[in-house]
Amino acid sequence: MSAATSPEEAPTGRAGASTLWVGRGIAAVAAVLLLLYPVINDNRYYQNIIILSLVFAVAASGLSIITGLAGYVSLGQGAFIGLGGYTVGILATHHPDTSVWLWVPLAGVVAALVALVLGFVALRARGPSFVIITVAFLFLVQVIAINWRSLTGGTEGLTLPLPTWSADIMNWPFYYALTAILALQLLLAWWVRRIKLGTGLVAIREDETKAATVGINLPVEKMIAFVASSVFVGMAGGVYGYYLTFIDPRGMLNILLSVQTMLALLVGGKATLWGPVLGAFLVEPLNEYANNNLGGGNTRLVLFGGLLILIVLFLPQGVLPAIESLLSWLRTRGSAGLVGARIGTGGSLASLTERLHPVEREPGAAVPPMLEVKDLRKSFGGLKAVDGASLVVPEGSITGLIGPNGSGKTTLFNLVDDTIHADGGEIWLAGERIDGLSPWTRAHRGLGRTFQITRLFREMTVLENVVAAQHSFSWSQLGRIAVSGAEAKAAEELLEYVGMRAFRDQKARALSYGQQKLVELAQVLMLDPKLILLDEPAGGINPVLVERMSEMIRELNSYGKTFLIVEHNMPFVLGLCDPVHVLGRGRTMASGTPDQIQNDPAVVDAYLGDDFVLEATEQVERAEQERAGST
Amino acid sequence: MTELVQTLVLSLLLGGVYALVASGLTLIFGVMRVINIAHGAFLILGAFIAYTLWHALGLDPLVGVLVTTPVVFAIGWAIYHGLVRPIRNAPMSSTVLLTFGLALVTEGVMGFVWGNDSTAITPSYVDTSFHVGGVFLPKAQVYGGIVAVVVLVALWLVLTKTWLGRAIRAAAANPASAELVGIKVTSVAALVFALGLAAAGAGGAITGVLYPFVPGSHYLWIARLLAIVVLGGLGSLEGAVLSALVFGIAETVTAVYVSPAWATAVPYAIVFAVLLIRPQGLLGTRLRDDAVTA
Repeated sequence: MSAATSPEEAPTGRAGASTLWVGRGIAAVAAVLLLLYPVINDNRYYQNIIILSLVFAVAASGLSIITGLAGYVSLGQGAFIGLGGYTVGILATHHPDTSVWLWVPLAGVVAALVALVLGFVALRARGPSFVIITVAFLFLVQVIAINWRSLTGGTEGLTLPLPTWSADIMNWPFYYALTAILALQLLLAWWVRRIKLGTGLVAIREDETKAATVGINLPVEKMIAFVASSVFVGMAGGVYGYYLTFIDPRGMLNILLSVQTMLALLVGGKATLWGPVLGAFLVEPLNEYANNNLGGGNTRLVLFGGLLILIVLFLPQGVLPAIESLLSWLRTRGSAGLVGARIGTGGSLASLTERLHPVEREPGAAVPPMLEVKDLRKSFGGLKAVDGASLVVPEGSITGLIGPNGSGKTTLFNLVDDTIHADGGEIWLAGERIDGLSPWTRAHRGLGRTFQITRLFREMTVLENVVAAQHSFSWSQLGRIAVSGAEAKAAEELLEYVGMRAFRDQKARALSYGQQKLVELAQVLMLDPKLILLDEPAGGINPVLVERMSEMIRELNSYGKTFLIVEHNMPFVLGLCDPVHVLGRGRTMASGTPDQIQNDPAVVDAYLGDDFVLEATEQVERAEQERAGST
Repeated sequence: MTELVQTLVLSLLLGGVYALVASGLTLIFGVMRVINIAHGAFLILGAFIAYTLWHALGLDPLVGVLVTTPVVFAIGWAIYHGLVRPIRNAPMSSTVLLTFGLALVTEGVMGFVWGNDSTAITPSYVDTSFHVGGVFLPKAQVYGGIVAVVVLVALWLVLTKTWLGRAIRAAAANPASAELVGIKVTSVAALVFALGLAAAGAGGAITGVLYPFVPGSHYLWIARLLAIVVLGGLGSLEGAVLSALVFGIAETVTAVYVSPAWATAVPYAIVFAVLLIRPQGLLGTRLRDDAVTA
């Protein structure tokens, strides 16, 4: 089971499995009822409600890919219903002799192409900007539909040819076509969630910048997500347009379609498979009721608006996840959490020898640089954070990078892995120039990096966090199962190594800071990097763990990993690193062995301080006295 | 030539009104990272209140600003404490959806109270103009522009010259630290939300004289306002003012020289262009996102 578990559903144990089967049973019964309904009951009113619910179920399920998984909130989803409707409407009126059904797949293609364009824009816009873009997109489509009269008929709209089939089965073709599209949409949503693409999207939702540094190809994954979230919605919109036989901007491109879709998704539960369907079948009947019994218009606005407010305030996770967490609370009530468990003592690298081999180095041989940074520059407004920094990290070394707070160490890391784009300068990794490459390509070339303030994907489990790292990119790989057996094994070995195997099924957000540091290290190791940048590995963790950290760094180093470490704990750095670079005011002010650095007057003045020298001297004196005393 | 001068002067007057309303929106975003989708709805609410004051009591809508501003301020203060505060630490998407819901409710309520027919405020001077060297300047536009600039300057003085203004800027820069130095951030946030909405309420009374409106007009307004603050750089007050003027010109020029129908497309085109070319806007800055602690 664990091998195929998607990020969002991780039912553990027998009880979880049984609720899963109950859920599947309910879904199956609902599906059968849905299929039989028009045969049993020919009430047009109810059939109409179901048909509209089906349209919104498709739209909401599509939305759950981009909003639920990838975390991009879109208020423009209704536009894809409209685009589908208009595609079918325009083609059907221009080709009155061809079957209208022929244009339905084309409606999907048009929606997907427009989504691709929107996705392209969204590559530059996150968070609030993206929401604004989607609203603007919807209104822009509406303005075009109103003004391009020769194509769309303007505000008067388009009237489609009436269906040609027998009046006895009037609604059946629409009903079953939409049911089939919903089935395809759900299949797609289910599949996306259990492949690498789905894990990547959840990683993007949790922390997009971090996702890029562990090798996730952001533009490709986001673009696919956009297309996947709209293609069947376009088709459903096409069928919907044919069903209405009348298409106009006010009806097909109304922002309330987007609102109703969003409501369906929120009510049912984001990032769940069945939530959007459940939500659509709850919200649409309500909508009909408001229209027919409460006067429509303004009542409907107040109802939708009020519902949106109430959901955001009181049920942010939606109905299905709320039921799920209630069940899991009932199940685990009384049993102690694991988060307080002791961190394992840690395995040795022997268990990892399938992938790692000790490296023999001849002393005295010339060492090529693993990382070479030349004249790197970055300004934030007038502040020159990194101002012409140059340094070399020899292959196979554990290189230290120290300097006062604000001297540009972390910014330098950010420039090296392109978390922030450099203004100028060159970066070379293992003889290749990488400063023009994207963060994920840099990760694929062998660059791994941990963050000063740990950045795990909080809603993923520890194991999922580790396997989220992708050490190469290929299109076919995106379609592979999210966690293959081999990957799970490799990840567990790495977790064993850092001592966190016992926590593999815990959510990352439940871990302590020190634990998160260890998991982040395992995650980076999953990339199988040549060079690992560690940002304050010893900061904020207890002395035993600091000891263990330096032991692991040494051991990994003996297996060929090169390190560049930023750290303020001087005994840690000076005991571990050689060479050491000192950064001051954004440039390298000294480089050398730990001894040279400690005795460099400029470094002492700018960073270490006189008392450091004093303390160090005292320590040496005390040691000498002790030695003298013992003889 | 005269036509061009007239177009430019009118767009600058219009830009002044836009600047006032957009400042409120960008102020709310800057301090509490909330995109208030309901901003346009409260502008229309301001217009309806000014309409009732004018229709029932004969109060000039531009004097009505003195009433709509405090009324919408009070509503904003109540909304902050009742709806926004409980989710102020939730993801941005939550507040977007919440304020969107608020916009819909406000639209529906306005429909109940004032009806869905087109409403216009038409004081006696509405069809008269000043003639300056061959240029016709409608009095409503001139008065409206002047009132907008006066309110905007007052807002600006509050933000730069008072203790409250410093507290607001401190809370915007770093809420946790502001709290540590004795600024009660939730109170400041409530005031900011109320001030921001009040700017919309003031703008509503002014625009009510310039254009007829219905409850559903708020969509057009929020699109316009979002385009302005995105163009100026989300959260930047100076940026909002600058881009409001640019925007007023772009819209008026399109309406005069292309077609009024396509003028409505201008905001959306601007949003797309800006976010593609310069996502941080005219005066916004891109901040490092790796050092955020709270």
